[in-house]
Amino acid sequence: MDDYAIGVLTNVGLISFLALSAYLLLIAGEMSFGQQAFFGVGAYAGGMLTAMYGWPLPLAALAAMALGALAQFLVGLPTLRLRGLYFAMATLAAAEMARILFELFHFQRQLEGEPVGPDGTQGFRGIRWIFEHGVEPLDYLGIVYALLALALAAFLMVERSRLGATLRGVGEDPELAASLGVDVNRVKLGVAAAAGALAALGGVLYAHHNTYIEPRNFDIMLGVHSLAYALIGGLGTALGPLLGVVLDIGALEGSRVFHGYRMIVFGGLVALLLIWRPRGLLDERAVQWLRRRFS
Amino acid sequence: MTDLAQNTLDGLFLGSSYALLALGFTLIFGVLRRVNLSFGPAVMFGCYAATWAHLNFGAGLLLLALIAVAGSVLAGAYVERLCFAPHRGGSAIAAMVASFALWMQFEELATLALPRHVYAFPPLYSGPPIEFGALSLRVESLAMLAAAIVVCVLLWWTLYRTRFGIAVRAVIDQPNAAQLAGISVPRTFMLTFALASAIGGLAGFLIAASHEQVTPMLGMWSTLKGLLAMMLGGLGSLPGAVLGGLALGLLEAHSQWFFGPQARDLIAYALLFILLAARVPWMTTRSAS
Repeated sequence: MDDYAIGVLTNVGLISFLALSAYLLLIAGEMSFGQQAFFGVGAYAGGMLTAMYGWPLPLAALAAMALGALAQFLVGLPTLRLRGLYFAMATLAAAEMARILFELFHFQRQLEGEPVGPDGTQGFRGIRWIFEHGVEPLDYLGIVYALLALALAAFLMVERSRLGATLRGVGEDPELAASLGVDVNRVKLGVAAAAGALAALGGVLYAHHNTYIEPRNFDIMLGVHSLAYALIGGLGTALGPLLGVVLDIGALEGSRVFHGYRMIVFGGLVALLLIWRPRGLLDERAVQWLRRRFS
Repeated sequence: MTDLAQNTLDGLFLGSSYALLALGFTLIFGVLRRVNLSFGPAVMFGCYAATWAHLNFGAGLLLLALIAVAGSVLAGAYVERLCFAPHRGGSAIAAMVASFALWMQFEELATLALPRHVYAFPPLYSGPPIEFGALSLRVESLAMLAAAIVVCVLLWWTLYRTRFGIAVRAVIDQPNAAQLAGISVPRTFMLTFALASAIGGLAGFLIAASHEQVTPMLGMWSTLKGLLAMMLGGLGSLPGAVLGGLALGLLEAHSQWFFGPQARDLIAYALLFILLAARVPWMTTRSAS
């Protein structure tokens, strides 16, 4: 594989974490415009821990995930009772606040005579853990996909369990779920924390793949893209969001055929696709059909 | 004291542009109960069409305004056909994500037609600002305020004094009953969309003329400001959209003067977040017309 292909595939894997976090909230009945913020929190926290304090990447990733979970839990506390557009706007407001705070965030350390750390709008460069530790691009690709496989396995297990049924129940009819004895708010807070952790993991991997991050990376475009990936791919299975990312980044950007026209092609395809399948390619019905077919 | 007065004036002018954007947003939301993320990008498309005409044919200001409005209406009609007409009564999220997909199209189209990042847009009036005691007023700002007032009056007249207005209000209050009474709901949707896009196009033209430039960011900017002003004033309420726009303008002008541009945006988003979390009554109970 050439470096370009490895780069594209790594990106597909990274962004899939973000799409999965949007998907998780969607099946629990909440639409978030703000997942990019937790992706950003993960990227900044993970990058700072490895580049400024010399933590090993796995430990930094765990810490960043915990921070992402905490951040989304705290944002969720006052907002998860809001419905639909109100919740979406509250998450958008939180995420834009986070982006501006990244712009105002100057915190550097002198390491070997060089300042290292976030420098406001100038960004944060030199997140070089994987190069300093001899992780080849192909190895990194393997790590990203191993983690993604782990996350997908967890999703598929949860979806087949009682918890999965509870999640979808809360998403489709919270009143009914509450009348069956489900603590809707607790479920949603748990979902929010998990979604924050997933997005943050994607962010850590992104920061170390790119070595450079800046506040602009985490604007609303990224958040709405991840929402779109989840919806295009389908809300029937956790493989849906992955399919959405593969379709956009993999097929269109990767192939280079539509260079310069990619967004026009992709935008039109998405709008048409959603007319045909409003809950995505792999929606609940498609998943059931596939299951009957292959089991 | 003079600074305070000047900031308040600037805030009102800025706020009237937000009010116009929020009016367009609110009309669409009130009738369709859907968020059109492509509202701003359609406005940007209109402004780009006008800029293109200005660069290639040196079109005059009046013609530019017409092109901006027509371009915005055209783009709006495209969005309505592809994103909202097919999802009528269906999934709100699908309609919104589809409108986001078309946003990507508008943005790429704009950068393909005019690839530089910034293009100059002719101002309405190139003389110095009008001095009014210690205060200075720009012609563009006055035009913005005048346009906001005229649009409000015309909109009120349209909604409360014409048959179309009765149809719109009936669809907002009771879509099923309106259908039964013989009102064509699809037609009302389309006309409302066109009306909202025309208001957006006018706002876009005035904003471009007052900034004296257009960039592809105008799309995202208009969508974010319109959404913010609409939410602050209360979803789906037309007087709320005007008040929300003015309040946002005043808040931004004062906080920019005291704390700078980054804090300005931070404060606006923090206010929205706090008001939503506190579930203030005018924001979470959506009144209709």
